[in-house]
Amino acid sequence: MPQLNPNPWFSTMLLTWFTFSLLIQPKLLSFTLTNNPANKITTTKPTPWTWPWT
Amino acid sequence: MNLSFFDQFSSPCLLGIPLILPSLLLPALLLPSPGNRWINNRLSTIQLWFTHLITKQLMTPLNKAGHKWALLLTSLILMLLSINLLGLLPYTFTPTTQLSMNMALALPLWLATLLTGLRNQPSASLGHLLPEGTPTPLIPALIMIETTSLLIRPLALGVRLTANLTAGHLLIQLISTATIALLPMMPSISALTALILFLLTILEVAVAMIQAYVFVLLLSLYLQENI
Repeated sequence: MPQLNPNPWFSTMLLTWFTFSLLIQPKLLSFTLTNNPANKITTTKPTPWTWPWT
Repeated sequence: MNLSFFDQFSSPCLLGIPLILPSLLLPALLLPSPGNRWINNRLSTIQLWFTHLITKQLMTPLNKAGHKWALLLTSLILMLLSINLLGLLPYTFTPTTQLSMNMALALPLWLATLLTGLRNQPSASLGHLLPEGTPTPLIPALIMIETTSLLIRPLALGVRLTANLTAGHLLIQLISTATIALLPMMPSISALTALILFLLTILEVAVAMIQAYVFVLLLSLYLQENI
């Protein structure tokens, strides 16, 4: 199985980490989201009211 | 020289030049770089929406400390997704079929989660080796079993991705060989095989996306235990 040939293992590992950390991560970091991340806002429960049937 | 079916997975080389470098770099070049503007083009907007979706999905089960891993995990899933999907095009090489690449990603990242847990909360991390409520006579055996399952995680992570993609590509090649070989002899069977090939390709698209997601999801789960 050619994947088990240990010759290119080191260069593949090095290139993978280079691509991952030096190419993709900075590209992703340049995306700015518009809102700041925050936990879900729990609104106060509204007071229930019934229809005033005549 | 006669090629076997496995030769599609050997590290690509053209006239002595290793082609693993462009096959790793090109998927990264397909991700757009946003400009300085507040509203970018549609591709960047879709990319941002997708990134936001992935980050929310991955970060929801993690506590605040785990959110430091957001960039790592999101960029990992985007890289794996793009590499896997591009490998389905004809005549392309998929670097994720290489065990070297998947182990290079899985082993350090798993080790990072393990060491984070052992450094910050050692007793809680080691406590995962014994599930709650085990009967006392089973404790030694279970600790050994859990330790083995812990140590086999990086291997499983890497080999899972490698094996799924390799098997998929191999199947595609086998069935397309069958289709071409049957075409002069039994064209109706060849058409049936072509239909199977079509369905298999759809399956492989799904597998490409699912395997990328599973890789990163499992890493985030290992992180959850340890952070």
